[in-house]
Amino acid sequence: MAGKIVSIHSFRGGTGKSNTTANLASQVALTGKRVGIVDTDIQSPGIHVLFGLNEQKMGKTLNDFLHGKASIREVGFPVGKNTGEGAGRAQLAGKELYLFPSSIRGQDISQILREGIDFNKLNEAMQMAISEFELDYLFIDTHPGLNEETLLSIATSDVLIIILRPDNQDLQGTSVTVDVARSLDVPNLFLLVNKALPKYDAVELKKDIEEQFQATVTSILPLSFDMAENASQDLFLLRYPDHAWSVALRNVIPYILNAE
Amino acid sequence: MTVNILQKIRETDFFKDLSDEACAAVAAEASTRHFAAGDAMMKKGDPADSFFVILEGTLKIVTTDAKGDEIIINKVGPGESIGELALVDELPRSAGVVALEPVEALEFTKQDLFDLLARQDVSLGILRGFSHRLRFSTTYIEKVIDWSQKTAEGNYSFLDQTQPLVTPAGSDEAKAAQLLSAFYSMVRKVKEREDDLKEKLERLTVEIDQERRKREFEEIAGTEFYAKLKEQAKALRQKRNSG
Ligand SMILES: Nc1ncnc2c1ncn2[C@@H]1O[C@H](COP(=O)(O)OP(=O)(O)OP(=O)(O)O)[C@@H](O)[C@H]1O
Ligand SMILES: [Mg+2]
Repeated sequence: MAGKIVSIHSFRGGTGKSNTTANLASQVALTGKRVGIVDTDIQSPGIHVLFGLNEQKMGKTLNDFLHGKASIREVGFPVGKNTGEGAGRAQLAGKELYLFPSSIRGQDISQILREGIDFNKLNEAMQMAISEFELDYLFIDTHPGLNEETLLSIATSDVLIIILRPDNQDLQGTSVTVDVARSLDVPNLFLLVNKALPKYDAVELKKDIEEQFQATVTSILPLSFDMAENASQDLFLLRYPDHAWSVALRNVIPYILNAE
Repeated sequence: MTVNILQKIRETDFFKDLSDEACAAVAAEASTRHFAAGDAMMKKGDPADSFFVILEGTLKIVTTDAKGDEIIINKVGPGESIGELALVDELPRSAGVVALEPVEALEFTKQDLFDLLARQDVSLGILRGFSHRLRFSTTYIEKVIDWSQKTAEGNYSFLDQTQPLVTPAGSDEAKAAQLLSAFYSMVRKVKEREDDLKEKLERLTVEIDQERRKREFEEIAGTEFYAKLKEQAKALRQKRNSG
């Protein structure tokens, strides 16, 4: 059975996609699975920060693969061999977790925006990442909104997790994303609420959103000062496993592991 | 024995309602003891060989916590007795008793007690004292059980139906009442916090403009790119499912 593609998406920016993707992928890797993460947010990459990568440490990138300048083998960065600083990340030592980062060099970003992406090539990158690294799960961190690379990620995913904040702008945008995902026959469509204010009744919130979209809300993650303060410096879930945000995020794991 | 002491004996739980003659007999058996503030009347673990009836002054009943710090379990004052249970069940002192101010008390040894029990009027008085205490504890315990069950079910109606009890300090009734009133105020605070929380929880009004939703979906789904993507995705899934 081929590895599964798990895309994490949100209609609007800053909902917590990168943090959620990095933490979920790491947690799955901790269970001994072989896991990859592709950053398809080529316009504004971000997930590398959570793994302590910067321009110097970053080797070959997804951009290099898309331009035919590197093989997927060269792009996959073995996090388990380079956990770097951070008490959370340190737990990934020896784990099979590979990051396929997007270039953060301004030059590369403007080039790809100018020339556009070859979709067959992006699709090939994902399929090759799975086969060459024998991945059980490939997580995809996306750019907010519904641009073409995001539509491709949604179209190829086995599991799609749409993150939203509990406000009406996010709900409106999410409704369109849900319709698109249904029209593209995504087999497992899940919702995840992040940055929920404590004033909302979580039970009611889950019920109302599920009713509206006819899709499962896997968890409600609280708005947390501690999360904001962590500022993507470390893997919060691994570092603070008992924190309310971490406990709530772990609820999402079974939905991923049990997806058909 | 002075009239004063006879009067005080008559005000104690155990010897109330006794005739002058009986009170005099009690006084004759006991020895009067004086404790200065800070003196220990009993030490935890000591063998229980006598009991005391307090005539004057207050004492604290103390034990120590895990860290060795003193915890005051209770305070006792005039009219109350200490240590009589130990005389009957013969267990060592379960707590220490220390005078908080000058204390005057009657001490009865085990032998004194047995001698007194030979008198029917005195034994009856002592029995009455014991049963009085039991009766109060039972009534209050039943009340606390009832309230606990109601609280567990989220039924706080008893808060409105009950007046916090006010009873004279020092009596057994007051101690039981203290338990009840501590329980009462605990439940009241729990309820306040619960109400507070309920107020804070809001419901998000989920409002989606369905027209706009439809329009935006059609804008995306109407492109050539989308149609091609849909085909490709379908082919890809079929390939993955068969492969
Ligand atoms: N529950 C939360 N409470 C408080 N802050 C949070 C929470 N979740 C995420 N954040 C913070 O919000 C910011 C955005 O998070 P993140 O980068 O993961 O979002 P994103 O959706 O990937 O953003 P972008 O759309 O820009 O890629 C980060 O600073 C992160 O620390
Ligand atoms: Mg991001």
